[in-house]
Amino acid sequence: MTALLTIQGLDIRAGDKPLVSGLSLSIRPGERIGLIGESGSGKSMTAMAATGLLPTSIRVTGSIELDGQQVVGAPDKTMNRLRGAAAAVVFQEPLTALDPLMKIGRQIAEPVRRRLEREGGKVSKDAISREVRDLIDKVALPQPERIINSYPHEVSGGQRQRVAIAMALACRPKLLIADEPTTALDVTTQAEILKLLDQLVRETGMALLFISHDLPVVSQVVERVIVLKNGVAVEEGAVNTVFGNPQHVYTRSLVEAARLFDEALGATGS
Amino acid sequence: MILDLQNVSFGYSRQQTTLNNVSLSVRPGVSVGLVGESGSGKTTLLRLMLGLVRPTSGTIRFGDQNLDPGNGTFMQRYRRSVQPVFQDPYSSLDPRQRVVDIIAEPLRSLRIPGDRTQAVADALEAVGLPLDAMRRYPHEFSGGQRQRIAIARAIVAGPQIVLADEAVSALDLSTRIRIVELFKTLSEKLTLVFVSHDLGVVAALCEEMVILERGQVVESGKTRDILASPTHPYTQRLLASIPRMPA
Amino acid sequence: MSPIETSASTRERRHSLALTVGLALVALNLAVAVLTLFWTPYDPLNASGGRLEAPSLLHWLGTDRLGRDLLTQLMIGARTALLVGTGAVAIGAAIGVSLGILAAFATRLADDVMAATLDILIAFPTLLLAMLVVAASDSASLWTAILALGLAISAIVARLTRILAKRVLRLDYIVASRTSGTSWPGVVFRHVLPNIWPTLSVNFALQFGLAVIAEASLSYLGLGAPPPNASWGRLLQEAQGTVYTAPIGAIAPGIALVALVIGMNLLADGLRDIADPTHGRSR
Repeated sequence: MTALLTIQGLDIRAGDKPLVSGLSLSIRPGERIGLIGESGSGKSMTAMAATGLLPTSIRVTGSIELDGQQVVGAPDKTMNRLRGAAAAVVFQEPLTALDPLMKIGRQIAEPVRRRLEREGGKVSKDAISREVRDLIDKVALPQPERIINSYPHEVSGGQRQRVAIAMALACRPKLLIADEPTTALDVTTQAEILKLLDQLVRETGMALLFISHDLPVVSQVVERVIVLKNGVAVEEGAVNTVFGNPQHVYTRSLVEAARLFDEALGATGS
Repeated sequence: MILDLQNVSFGYSRQQTTLNNVSLSVRPGVSVGLVGESGSGKTTLLRLMLGLVRPTSGTIRFGDQNLDPGNGTFMQRYRRSVQPVFQDPYSSLDPRQRVVDIIAEPLRSLRIPGDRTQAVADALEAVGLPLDAMRRYPHEFSGGQRQRIAIARAIVAGPQIVLADEAVSALDLSTRIRIVELFKTLSEKLTLVFVSHDLGVVAALCEEMVILERGQVVESGKTRDILASPTHPYTQRLLASIPRMPA
Repeated sequence: MSPIETSASTRERRHSLALTVGLALVALNLAVAVLTLFWTPYDPLNASGGRLEAPSLLHWLGTDRLGRDLLTQLMIGARTALLVGTGAVAIGAAIGVSLGILAAFATRLADDVMAATLDILIAFPTLLLAMLVVAASDSASLWTAILALGLAISAIVARLTRILAKRVLRLDYIVASRTSGTSWPGVVFRHVLPNIWPTLSVNFALQFGLAVIAEASLSYLGLGAPPPNASWGRLLQEAQGTVYTAPIGAIAPGIALVALVIGMNLLADGLRDIADPTHGRSR
């Protein structure tokens, strides 16, 4: 099975400053990988580089192969075709990820229409509308009529994030990249969104690249993790192995910190 | 009992009640966590406790007096005793002021006598920052260091209570743990009121907890007891939602 | 995350060059203006040579149609321009900043009224406003022009101050200052003004340039300061009839005007970097 995303020797520099150095990772179809790092670790940069979304002032060297296509140095036209079909992204801040001046229904319809055009199928208003409702249902948003006719600021943060996920799903991507998707949400909402992501990824068989600084959150949705520190991958392995028996001193400090707060909460399931 | 809130309600407008009949007591030396998600009213509660807004109904007593934001003499004394630490280390420090002036502001405005430079130096030492930080500007420091500066400002006047508003939420995990440890050390000498949505942090720092949902207190008591057996369904849901580390 | 410029060093180099040029141009005008207080090559009011003489060793820029030395007139023009620019900006700043700060603290209703009033005032072109004030006063004088321009500038400054102050007042360090026991006036002087100053100072420098041009326009139209206050605008107006036979009469004040305004604009950019301790770096 060929990998969906293969990154080899990735270097990302802004001027003289190295943001990511010598990063290599691969994601196979259906795999769920977690990218763990604090601020400045380069985790978001990596995701942006993988979808060719970095500005030209940032230099990217190395190899990134997304669904067989080399991303580094690829022209925007090639990347536009790839984006959505190969990989879709869900970002951290639901408030700014959606256009505040466009009704939600229209926003979800956009990627749906693009995908239908790409597949060469019928692009009728009905077909789009049907699919939009279908997606809204899939992300468990109640009252689809209300949602379709609302503006982003009229719905809650958790609902906005569900909309963002729906838009990502509309592309029927092979790889879903989620960059801190629950960090800006309440604890109870976060739990719901994580459960939703978990379920959707299993149902559609998508691969998942989950980026976060929150160790327990990551452990809920992925099988393998890569720990980044200052742009360098310091440890990699199965979630339980890395969290249970961290080898690198940095990983160990992160795991200890996470366990400290975890233990303060008392035994699980209390 | 230092700070006592009785049946406090607050609404920004007639239709909208942000806080409904909230009662809680802050006892000397007993750190308490105010836990709530967005819309719980915890920010408003904090602003009430800081004397920035007046309650629509109910009373807030500090010691044997009523908290009256209009009473200048009282507020001088109150501000000396109750100091805040805010969430965002990037907007809670005036970017155009040197660290020494930032930290010394309470001393100046509250007209506290004594050697100001020495007081600032003591505060810096207490938060683990070097003395040469005094002449520098906020932008020269990291998020965690800035938060230490904010904490130094909060403790320089020797307050009885420090009100921390999500004071570690904007920090990375490794920095967060260090600042939590700092708060823990400081809480030995003063009373800490810690507002947070993060139960893990509150559990690590606070002896007691008050759980807020939609402007009302749904549960309160010893942290250990609530964590072991939460009674209110909201608390139960909250605890169940927290992602846990794999065993 | 904001994209970091790869040519940061080039940008810095270009920046300091602009600052140096700006500073030089403004300093030159200032030096000339101060000099005229003590000495000018010739008497500005009386003829010292023949009419419309070409530039010579005696008269470096020649003479005007009344035989007066042009260089002298030009130098005094620099004094007028700087006086008007500085005076107008000073008045505009004093009134504008005060009003702006008050507006930032005003209640919803008062604020809306104020904002609307300012918007109406700003809608009037500065020059037109100035002309109205000058016409309304008995005589045209240097001070009338300065006052008129100052009032026009104050509306713009007030609007800008209001917006900037409101933005700052929302930040956490303002709340922190209040909980430190600082009074509202204390907060304004210690935190609000210093933080809005970088942007305001740039605006002041730009307004200076506009004021100088406005004064030149007023003088050109005959509404500016009468002699002995020479103005580049008046020189331009006087040179109109003889622009083909004695072009230097129009070229010299024209270049002087342009040089001062450009110099001030370049200085404005550099000023902001100097005033801001973070020097454009964020976080």
